[in-house]
Amino acid sequence: MTSDVVGEAPSGASPLRSAMTPSSSGTRRPRSSRLGAFTVPAWLLVIPLALVPLVMGVWLSLRDQTLGSPLPTNFVGLDNYRTDVWSPTFGQALFVTGMILVIGLAIQIPLGLLLAVLLERGIRGSRFLRSSLITPMLLTPVAVGLMWRFMFNSELGVINWGLSLLGIPGVDWLGTSPAAIFAVVIVDSWQAIPFVMLMILAGLSALPASPREAASVDGATAWQTFRSITLPMLMPVLLVTVMIRLIDGFKLFDVVFILTRGGPGTATQTVSMLDYNTAFTFLASSRAAAIGTVLAILTLPVYWLWVRASRGVE
Amino acid sequence: MRRRSSLWLDVITYVVLVLAVLFALFPIYWTIATSFKTRVDSFAVPPKFFGFNVTFANYQRLFSDPSFVRIYLNTILVTAQATILAVGAGAFAAYALARSPRFHGRRPLEVALILLRAMPGVVLIVPLYQLAAKLGLLGQMPTLVVVYAVFALPFAIWIMTPFFVGIPVELEESAQIDGAHRLQIFGRVVLPLATPGLAATAILVALLQWNEFLVPVVLGSKKTETLPVYISGFISARTLDWGPMAAASSLAIIPIIIVTVLVQRRLISGLSAGALKD
Repeated sequence: MTSDVVGEAPSGASPLRSAMTPSSSGTRRPRSSRLGAFTVPAWLLVIPLALVPLVMGVWLSLRDQTLGSPLPTNFVGLDNYRTDVWSPTFGQALFVTGMILVIGLAIQIPLGLLLAVLLERGIRGSRFLRSSLITPMLLTPVAVGLMWRFMFNSELGVINWGLSLLGIPGVDWLGTSPAAIFAVVIVDSWQAIPFVMLMILAGLSALPASPREAASVDGATAWQTFRSITLPMLMPVLLVTVMIRLIDGFKLFDVVFILTRGGPGTATQTVSMLDYNTAFTFLASSRAAAIGTVLAILTLPVYWLWVRASRGVE
Repeated sequence: MRRRSSLWLDVITYVVLVLAVLFALFPIYWTIATSFKTRVDSFAVPPKFFGFNVTFANYQRLFSDPSFVRIYLNTILVTAQATILAVGAGAFAAYALARSPRFHGRRPLEVALILLRAMPGVVLIVPLYQLAAKLGLLGQMPTLVVVYAVFALPFAIWIMTPFFVGIPVELEESAQIDGAHRLQIFGRVVLPLATPGLAATAILVALLQWNEFLVPVVLGSKKTETLPVYISGFISARTLDWGPMAAASSLAIIPIIIVTVLVQRRLISGLSAGALKD
């Protein structure tokens, strides 16, 4: 039962093999360089809908365009970067995003690891428990945000009612500053913990059983086996998981939009939310494009991180 | 001695897992329960967890509005078309990535896909809005379809690649000896074998598309409104309409729950094989 916990991987492919590195079965194929033609359909989507907009974004960021204005626009150089990127508002948005990332990881990784390790013990009912635990992962973030908004309601919400049973006074979850950040992290974690758990389960199922069995025969306790054998062997998978969570945390938008719209004030305004508000609330297209260009530059190191992390799970 | 310690471990395992299941499922139960409550019951303090009067009024109200039916259909249509486009275009690229370590243009494709996956959607949506406005393509279904597809493309390709890796290369080699063209081999030998993988990928991509919010809220119109956009409308205009709000949310998430229960093993193998490079 234990080996079945994550379901079977596609035959012949290790679930941990990275697509970014060549497979052993595919190397030294004759005339494989011709395969480049197979990427044409993907490029037909990526060039007009990702590369062209990206270049347009840079061009837009150097002008003074506003949304819907019929007036001709002017070239303003780096003015938008000076006013909107080199600004306390952008600094605060980066800080908020960082806080959500750090608190989120500190909650999601340990809990995901704990649940995965407990599920992998293969107790009776594991399969049912696993199905229930992964349910939140794929649900519509907008609907999820709304569901929680309703539970976080300070007067009529079920969360404050639960706290009152424990004698804890109600919290204005979405209307006060540190609480709103935690509300965002709780909702994000509700969907992210199942993902972390699933990744670690996949990692655990790919580990050879023998070192762990040997340790247990030698009289090591479950905790000792976990700390000195399982955890070190899981490190590459954990690294990939952390990387994906960093990417998705940096992109966090839907849940924030629904829960707080960046509020109260700008207390939960993430970088994505700031960029959106600049473009579509304040209608400052060019200033938003400047923010967007900087966010695009900030994602560049992900490539390096990605290649390193996926090398680890080979 | 060992037996006793493992008994304790079992007890702790159950307690922790059951608490986690309650945390995972309660918000879902609460939303679906609220969607069947009367207005008075949805505001009751203490909350009515069970034993409330079941009413279908919230759903009746949603479906009596013809625009809601159209919104639901829009969501299904845009999801289906964008999934076909993303999985179709992605399958060719995934095959190339799976089969050859260094074909012409491999590195640029990898860089583009990774950065597209990592970049916040709003970075692209601001210039895309300008572009679509200039070309008069705002609020059109085909516009939504292609942008949805490109946003999901990296995910689709990384889920599919391991499935292609898993197909024995010998089969293709013997076809090649028979003189079949590369594209013929792909169509006649590889694709039929990859069907289970493509199906798993299509399901996962469809779930992503179903959930998409940023693209339709910016590039869509009243005519092409989708379910997530409609649901988001509750936070401003219809704040206290908790019943219909819960009903609309339930109609977004119940299909996902049904799909994940029905094809769970497929999804999990797809996600765990693909997630490590998703």
